[in-house]
Amino acid sequence: MKVLLQNLVKRFADSDRAAVNNINLVIEAGELAVLLGPSGCGKTTTLRMIAGLEQPDSGRITIAERDITDLAPKDRRVAMVFQNFSMYPTMNVYDNIAFPLHAVKMKRGEIDRTVREVAALVNIDHLLERSVRQVSGGEAQRVALARAMVRRPEVFLMDEPLSNLDAKLRVQLRAEIKRLHQDTGTTFIFVTHDQEEAMTLGDKIIVMNNGDIQQVGRPHEVFFGPRNAFVANFVGTPSMNMLPGVVRNENGGGYRLQLPGFDLSLPARFHDGLAAMAGNRVIWGIRPEAIRLVAEPGENCVSGEVELVEALGSRDLIFVRAAEQLFGVIVDAQESLAVGAPCRLHFAGGQMHLFDAENERSLLSLTK
Amino acid sequence: MRVPTSERVFAYVILIVMAMLVIAPVLAGSITAFKPQIIWVSSPPTWVFEPTLENFEFVFFTRKGWVYLRNSLIISIGSVAVALLLGVPAAYAFARFRFRSSKALMQWLISLRMIPPIVVGLPFYAMFLYLERGLGIGLRDTFPGLIITYQTFLLPLVIWMMRGYFAELPAAMEESAMVEGYTRLGALWRVVLPVVFPGIVATAILNFIFAWNEFFLALILAGNRTSTLPMTAGTYIVRTRVEWGNLFAVNMIIMAPVIVLTIILRRQLVKGLTFGILE
Amino acid sequence: MSTRRGGSLVNIKYMFHSDIADNQGKPFSTRLYQLTQRRRHWFFIAPALIILLLVVIYPIIFSTGVSLFRVTFASQSRPFVGLQNFERMLGNDDFIQSAFNTLYYVVFSVSGSFLLGFAVALLIRRITAGVELLRLILIIPITMAPIVVGLMWNWMLDPLFGLVNWFLGLFGIPGQTMLAHASTARLTVVLVDIWQWYPLVFLIIEAGMATLPRAPFESARLEGVSSWMIFRRLTLPMLRPVILVALLLRTVDAFRTFDIVRVMTDGGPHLTTETLSLYLYRTAFTFSKLSRAAAGSILMLLFIGLISALMFRYLYRDVEMG
Repeated sequence: MKVLLQNLVKRFADSDRAAVNNINLVIEAGELAVLLGPSGCGKTTTLRMIAGLEQPDSGRITIAERDITDLAPKDRRVAMVFQNFSMYPTMNVYDNIAFPLHAVKMKRGEIDRTVREVAALVNIDHLLERSVRQVSGGEAQRVALARAMVRRPEVFLMDEPLSNLDAKLRVQLRAEIKRLHQDTGTTFIFVTHDQEEAMTLGDKIIVMNNGDIQQVGRPHEVFFGPRNAFVANFVGTPSMNMLPGVVRNENGGGYRLQLPGFDLSLPARFHDGLAAMAGNRVIWGIRPEAIRLVAEPGENCVSGEVELVEALGSRDLIFVRAAEQLFGVIVDAQESLAVGAPCRLHFAGGQMHLFDAENERSLLSLTK
Repeated sequence: MRVPTSERVFAYVILIVMAMLVIAPVLAGSITAFKPQIIWVSSPPTWVFEPTLENFEFVFFTRKGWVYLRNSLIISIGSVAVALLLGVPAAYAFARFRFRSSKALMQWLISLRMIPPIVVGLPFYAMFLYLERGLGIGLRDTFPGLIITYQTFLLPLVIWMMRGYFAELPAAMEESAMVEGYTRLGALWRVVLPVVFPGIVATAILNFIFAWNEFFLALILAGNRTSTLPMTAGTYIVRTRVEWGNLFAVNMIIMAPVIVLTIILRRQLVKGLTFGILE
Repeated sequence: MSTRRGGSLVNIKYMFHSDIADNQGKPFSTRLYQLTQRRRHWFFIAPALIILLLVVIYPIIFSTGVSLFRVTFASQSRPFVGLQNFERMLGNDDFIQSAFNTLYYVVFSVSGSFLLGFAVALLIRRITAGVELLRLILIIPITMAPIVVGLMWNWMLDPLFGLVNWFLGLFGIPGQTMLAHASTARLTVVLVDIWQWYPLVFLIIEAGMATLPRAPFESARLEGVSSWMIFRRLTLPMLRPVILVALLLRTVDAFRTFDIVRVMTDGGPHLTTETLSLYLYRTAFTFSKLSRAAAGSILMLLFIGLISALMFRYLYRDVEMG
């Protein structure tokens, strides 16, 4: 079902800043939308307002054209999975899954059929008689998923459901959530602070910070075309190399970027955005994956030496000191360099990002 | 941590002496309750004798001890029930909802612990008197009157203790139930209360002990109809001679249930006695 | 309660007013629902709060009122006398004497029970076997009714056949009449009070010690810091909030001492053991001077309020409460 947030505002009594500051958002029917942002950015508050656990100060929430802003949580036909809670400790697995069905006074036989069906869907049908003490953390979170599914909600809300699990289990359950989404075709809204999780899961990523939506887009759009410096910095690990700089007009119509210790020529795709920016301060960025090691000197190259090497597995993250700046560079493990080795970095024009230093907005919109 | 043997021996000696000092008077006194009247008082003390229940019989039936026991039970259980009924919802709100005055109100509740009973007892006596004379509402020497008065020390303690138990549970527990089709009260009843039940039992027991042992307010506000056990204990002493055997029989009746409850409760006892301030 | 009603009301609202944009245009039922959501904590707190105002605050106001008039149980006329009752109380030797006695109780019972309780808490960490049994034994006095404790010690201290004198007699010490003599009665009552309450200090301190993190202590020991310095510089400062809570509770309780004294000496001999609670009780119920007792109780409340506010301020700096 399509979820629509209009001018949503939420302030808490104990804070001057709005937790959610007038946001507007459309989540299409059947989409898996991920709310991504650092802690305190308002993503969880937004989700809780959709669930009805927080009452917005103003604004509207509709699900499939139905205004649910003032409905009690139980009447919203949504389901929610929480980060720090998965099973009611006084009930066994079966009764946990049946619990939402008792609320709608379903008949015993039908409850039994539904519970077994849903339990099989999340692979816990062999655990039904177990108590909370006899299931693992991952299994308990499957119980929570089953309990959420059992009422066939119009929207699934998930508040960092994988954060408390260990890394291996997290990847496994992530894949299952993706599969559940594909099988059910229901709208999912997933909250996380983990950008890798957001990338792998989301059809659509909503990046939030300080109660505002920073960018909405498909994972690739957010990764390759960040709309502002915050998104550029937050999305991607290791994070983007960023430096302050000043734009200069070049004889012959081009632009050069003066960075601390060196300068670069800017490719033509920035020219529109820079029309009125000559002499202005900007933030320049390039991802560690986009920097190449080259042998010969040339345009947009700086030389330096390796200061630190971190092994990431098949690839290494090396930190290069060049022009008195430290650059993170990702290289194949085979091509990796030793600490102290001299090297030359090349910044490809097509991979650069530029942001206005005043408002941190991108000077280029790849997405159009 | 390894402790030197000499230090450990020293600790054992001192602690055993301390334990003896605590337990000896209690045991010696309790034994007297089983002594026949002729050896209540004897010097040197008689340690070997045929134990008898005649003191208990006398206290319980001849001196209507069963009535006082009943009164004590009604007042203690009644006032704990009222305190739980009022205090548990309040504790839940303090643990869960953020609102502006919550912190100040919780501190105010602790400050009630400082009020000496005379400050409350005296006006209560006068108020009950005026209510009776003026409006014909008799609360003096009644169970409801005492049960209301006991809320002065029970209710703040119930709220503080229960707030601690609620705060230990994730809010997501009842929120989950609310999203799954229950009202907040429904979620509280079906999900939260079963989980927090051991905490309620511990709170009830500790408050019962306080109400059961209470003497001062009962002395002022209870009369012939509502006399409690602690009040009657003194009646065996203000006579020409003290009926020690009978007195210790009453003491035993007062002490025994509390000691049993304490053994059940001992892990939660500190939390309750310190008002749960330390968490 | 609020959610259910709000939910169904809003369903009706939804049927008729599905196109409402902001709060101002919303019907009464919706605004009522929002109100119950925003003020929901009062539904839970109000009953308890009302009762507490009734049983604690109202009596204090009532007492303050009564203290400004001359009210006795015997007479019907109640003339306004202003602060005269307070003056009379402060000028009354017996009141001052009982206030002094109360202070004596507070100082000696609190410090005695604190030192003893702290010492036992330190000692019990040195042993392993029998800790549980020891703890169980030490809990017993706390849970006994003070009146039972008082009566029990009356018997223990009886000059003719009491166990204490019998025990002393085994060592050739002649019988003492500790409760009958002005010089020893007060100390004896204080000792009994300590007997009952030092286990409470012990329990609190021990619980506090159990919550201390291990890392700083292990680290200090690795660095070769002496036990005494560890105690001075780590244990004591880290236990500060716990110590303050123990002291606060003991002070408040010692200040209100009534039960034990009532049954052991009833204030005598010659008012040497009379506490404020006992004196005010007598003023009101034996001598029927209600107003004067009310004035005294207000003074007492101010006094304990001042002491505990000071301790509270100290405590508040250390622990975040609520």
